[in-house]
Amino acid sequence: MLCQVCKKNAASVFLKVAVNNKMTEMHLCERCAAGKGASFAGFDVEPFNISGMTGNLSGYFKEFLPREKRTLHCRSCGLAYHEFKEAGFLGCPECYSSFEPQLTELLTRIHGNCGHTGKNCGASIVHPVVNGASPAARRSVSELKAALKKAVETEDFESAARLRDRIRELGENHG
Amino acid sequence: MAKVIDSFRPYVTWANPRGKWPDIIFSTRVRLARNLAGSAFPQRASAGTLRGIRETALEAVKATRLFARGHYFKTAALSPLEKNFLIERHHISHNLASLERAGAVAVNNEEDLAVMVNEEDHLRLQSIASGFSIPAAFEAVNKLDDELGRLLPYAYSGKFGFLTACPTNVGTGLRVSCLVHLPALSRSGQMPKLLESLSHLGMTARGIYGEGTYVLGDFYQISNATCLGHSEDEFCANLDRTITNLIRLEILSREKLAAPSVKLKTEDSVFRAYGLLKNARSISYGEFMQNLSLVRMGAAMGYPVRTDFGTLNQFTLLMQPAHLEHMSGRALGPDERDAARADYIRKNLN
Repeated sequence: MLCQVCKKNAASVFLKVAVNNKMTEMHLCERCAAGKGASFAGFDVEPFNISGMTGNLSGYFKEFLPREKRTLHCRSCGLAYHEFKEAGFLGCPECYSSFEPQLTELLTRIHGNCGHTGKNCGASIVHPVVNGASPAARRSVSELKAALKKAVETEDFESAARLRDRIRELGENHG
Repeated sequence: MAKVIDSFRPYVTWANPRGKWPDIIFSTRVRLARNLAGSAFPQRASAGTLRGIRETALEAVKATRLFARGHYFKTAALSPLEKNFLIERHHISHNLASLERAGAVAVNNEEDLAVMVNEEDHLRLQSIASGFSIPAAFEAVNKLDDELGRLLPYAYSGKFGFLTACPTNVGTGLRVSCLVHLPALSRSGQMPKLLESLSHLGMTARGIYGEGTYVLGDFYQISNATCLGHSEDEFCANLDRTITNLIRLEILSREKLAAPSVKLKTEDSVFRAYGLLKNARSISYGEFMQNLSLVRMGAAMGYPVRTDFGTLNQFTLLMQPAHLEHMSGRALGPDERDAARADYIRKNLN
């Protein structure tokens, strides 16, 4: 099993920590475990401090999220990943795509599972384009198909091509 | 003094003891967190964007026709008293009331559906029902969500579900909660252990007004702690099972309090509480709730306390500071408020 933090080295340390009355399990390599302050034979490190994790959720995010190798920013709203770790709030819907690998890991920890199996949002678009989304971009697939049909009938091929691409894009995301 | 408050009915129908287990479950609430695609979440959005969202959201809510003859307020236009009144009625959160941004709230005429705009998320849809009514409360808010979803472009991802400002709400955006009255369990000393086991089951216990609030009068708000990875029905069924178990435990604890060895002590506590409510000349909301809890339990256990759940439930709403101040028709200091509360209870408790 690979280390959950660096995802490079083999995990050799198994950590179990109580956070908000819940046991959280972590598999780490020795280097990352030392970085987290766990005290192990052969490592001269500070005792493991869990106070920052039990107080509030933002502390929880900060402690458990993997350290990014470079400063990550949301490509839409510009929120830096460390700002999210500090405050516990994302900046915009697009942050979920910009920080997808990090959030997948975090959400698995919070919810125990990270795939949405609830209600579908038929009229919404998947991973919406945040800035400059045209009205067409907000329409559902069925509406777009109807518009495409009309565009073909009226020989408005420029619009038809745009609509076709949008439908394809939505179809891929839905799939 | 406050036109906004005058526009509401003096009593709320969801505080009437209907539904299943009205003596133990006061009310059921279901909320859905939703955001609009293409806009930053409220914390990071510009003032102009928030104003735009507020107008769009209110327009959509009006178009659903579920809020016919409803109440629509921009938070900036509300006085502190009006905001507190809406908090006490559970229509807005402390958070929305305290934020200095373009927020709004819509409440339907029956006061069992509400939409908060630009709180932590662009939209917080909420339905409330009396008693133990998870399916009915969910159905109501789900219908509102379907209608709004047709009018507004929700931020949604096939992988993560409905996208929210805080990742703890992403997925279904669902929080189902029951306001449960557990006086016997609270007296049994089992609550700390019980609350710990609730957290292992993925449930959270809060005070009456939600996050970060105190437990008053042995009322606990129990809700799901996670909302991703399962369907809405599964989350609802899970809470339903947990609450059903809590009801069973509360009934067992009440039976223990009625056992011959402790019966007199229980009866004495109930009637002392009744006597205090009936005779006090000054009473804080905390002391009122503490005694109301015993009287409510006594009524449920069949003691002749000469009152009913309907009256007691409405009291819990009407005796809150903003409601009391509004009924008095003038601003009240803390001492005046406690005197006005004692006065009202003395006159209206049978």
